[in-house]
Amino acid sequence: MTAQSIDNSKADIRDTGQSRLASFGSAFVANGFTMYPVLLLLVIVGAIIAPRFLTAINLLNILEQVSVLGLTTIGLTFVVLIGRLDLSLEGVVGFAPMLAAVMLVPATAGGFGTELPAWMGLFVALGTAGLIGLFNGFMVVKVGLNPFISTLGLLVLLRGGVLIISNGRSIYSPGQALTYLGSGKLFGLPVSVLVFLAVAIVVGLVFQYHRYGRALYAVGGNEEAARAAGINVDRIIWSAFFFAGLLAGLAGVLMTGRLDSAVTTQGQGIIFSAFAAAVIGGVSLGGGRGTIIGVVSGVLLIGVINNLLTLAQVPSFYVQASTGAVIIIAAVLTTVASRRSGGVKTRT
Amino acid sequence: MDGTQPIVEMRNIVKTFGSTRALRGVDFTVMHGEVHALLGRNGAGKSTLVSALSGFTPADSGAIRIADTAIEATGQNYAADIREVIAHVQQTPRLFDLLTVAENLFVENPIVRRKFGIVSHGLMVARATELLDKWNMDIRSDSLAGELDAGSRQLLEIMKALTRGVPVMILDEPTAALSNAEKRILFENVKALKAAGVSFVYISHHLDEVFEVADTVTIMRDGQVVKAREPVGNLDVEIIADLMMGEKTVRSAREDHTDPQGQILLKARGIGIEEFPDSRIDFEIRPGEIVALAGPVGSGKEALAMILAGKQKPAGGEIVSERANLPTIGFVPTDRHASGYVGILGVRENVAIGGLSVLSNKLGFIRLAHEGAHVRRLAGQTDVIASSLEQPVSQLSGGNQQKVVFARALCRNPEVVVALSPTRGVDVGAKEQLYALLRKLASEGLGVVVVSDEEDEIEQLANRVIIVFEGRIVDELVGHYSMKDLILHMEGVA
Repeated sequence: MTAQSIDNSKADIRDTGQSRLASFGSAFVANGFTMYPVLLLLVIVGAIIAPRFLTAINLLNILEQVSVLGLTTIGLTFVVLIGRLDLSLEGVVGFAPMLAAVMLVPATAGGFGTELPAWMGLFVALGTAGLIGLFNGFMVVKVGLNPFISTLGLLVLLRGGVLIISNGRSIYSPGQALTYLGSGKLFGLPVSVLVFLAVAIVVGLVFQYHRYGRALYAVGGNEEAARAAGINVDRIIWSAFFFAGLLAGLAGVLMTGRLDSAVTTQGQGIIFSAFAAAVIGGVSLGGGRGTIIGVVSGVLLIGVINNLLTLAQVPSFYVQASTGAVIIIAAVLTTVASRRSGGVKTRT
Repeated sequence: MDGTQPIVEMRNIVKTFGSTRALRGVDFTVMHGEVHALLGRNGAGKSTLVSALSGFTPADSGAIRIADTAIEATGQNYAADIREVIAHVQQTPRLFDLLTVAENLFVENPIVRRKFGIVSHGLMVARATELLDKWNMDIRSDSLAGELDAGSRQLLEIMKALTRGVPVMILDEPTAALSNAEKRILFENVKALKAAGVSFVYISHHLDEVFEVADTVTIMRDGQVVKAREPVGNLDVEIIADLMMGEKTVRSAREDHTDPQGQILLKARGIGIEEFPDSRIDFEIRPGEIVALAGPVGSGKEALAMILAGKQKPAGGEIVSERANLPTIGFVPTDRHASGYVGILGVRENVAIGGLSVLSNKLGFIRLAHEGAHVRRLAGQTDVIASSLEQPVSQLSGGNQQKVVFARALCRNPEVVVALSPTRGVDVGAKEQLYALLRKLASEGLGVVVVSDEEDEIEQLANRVIIVFEGRIVDELVGHYSMKDLILHMEGVA
């Protein structure tokens, strides 16, 4: 490789060692675009085998379906970027809206009887979710627990908590304030899709261009170096768990809205899909690597595959297994692509 | 075995990493019972060559013969074929922190096995104790490897390799973490084993060690051998440095930019260091001054520097400044690999994390154009050589990685720079560039604090040397002092 000095006089640093194609390739992978060609291919295949696939209604339907998974995965990405994980997000998706619901509806409908004003619904759900995130941060930073075990414990606890506060029964029609985000329409588009896109854009910009994003990548890449550089590592870890919880809570609210009820099994299994979507999107489970563009591609891929398998009338028993197989193939593709382009090993 | 035949023969070894040709057809031989020093700047290909020899990173092509084992390299892994004839001690110890000293020493070693491959714990402890006594090491065979200090860990790693009874040993920078006493023990053992017919390949940046233990010297530059099998007696420091650099080098001399009238930048009053209950340190630094903190390993000099840099809480006392506010401090940590850089991130991100607050706008978003210009200026100032600002720092050579760490430390426009072991594991050329940088910073009125174990480095840089021992300042050298003064003052405490 022809290396050259980075110098004021040579204002443009040209990559003379690599061909333009190769450097385009590594930028393509590093920025998280790896899966988009695959996605495009799937869309073409889908259009051929199922004529109903490429209709506006169906595409919107896919977006609406993935918005819950999408928000959860974006939340998860915060903690995975700093080299941690948070299994309790699945619990938050179920617990936060359920708590809001039981505090809103009258006792006859299964509520606590507090009958808070409707506008409090969203506030309670997101506040709970944020507090749970802060609790996770506390356990990891202050107590020093391994996040796998502390968030696993919390996941089980929240699952049980949902049954306790709801008495094991789902709460129907918890009120418009809580369901609008998941069921409303704005300019003919589902509000949930708009929320997902807005969050993706904001978080994507923060990751790429905000000092907070830079700090997340630094902590995930080498915690000690980040500390030596003057970054408040504890605060970064704490906040990552907070944002993860908050976004999972928002995801839960969208789900409750779409179903117009807080269901006791809400969110079950979503953490596995979220991990899959993140890894497919090029997020390294070792931390320090991953983009929102990639995460969105992972989420879309899972959504499109589920949709296609349904439209192609694959027997329902096969849907789950096929999704799993596709996840493995996609993860292999992502890992191979990042290894070939980056020259730096990552754990995915 | 025939003693006149080489025990190691490498022919036409080629290794490429991506588009970098690390080895361009290298020949290398080692004779029986010889200590063969392999010299060269960082990135010359020394570590790659010995890694190809031991199979850690297989060569792409070429022939390797060690004793009776011959290998035709194809890029495939061959480490298993030669593990009985060669041992490779790498720069950083690779011990199992959660196993005991004895377990580490005899891991996968058949001499502690009984029937059916059952490992005898008693035998292992007895052998380990015997070995530790022989090496004069004051550690218990049942303490955990993770609890040991850096020097003991390094010695343990070397002992582990030596006990395997292989005819050829590679020692890659074995003394980096060792104190002078530990070095002595190592050299005695190397000499004893050499007398017993063991051959060594020895890599070091310290030429004095090379003159002490080596018989033969091979010098590499840019993936090629520039001087093969030269008896050490035919060489001196100047010749070696010239061959390594490819051009004449002059060791630079210190400059004094101290501003005696300037306001004191940083003043430590009665600082206590936790490990030393009765420590009480007063210290001050003026603009333009380069101060070195010297003293034996574990004397408290690093702790003092960490406290000055605000990275560690003092056990007592306070840090003040004659200026209105405490100065901004740029910090270069001691271990580049552990806490210096983020390997998977590019030069830009690595430098920028040192000063995110000055590079971002009110909302906290990075001002990209400003960031690019700032990082580019710092990378230019520190002479970073990279293919682009986006190149991952893990792909750079050691010297360039260290320059990135310096650039990061300068990112917030500091008034004081605290640098721990500023040139550890850095080649001569990069060393001089970093010295020039520190002098330039001092000439601009910054205060510079350097912690160093190398007399040469201190003598080339420091206008004032503070010798720290057991958490106290025991001696001080100011202004004009010679190398001899320095050594005498430093030995006065050791």
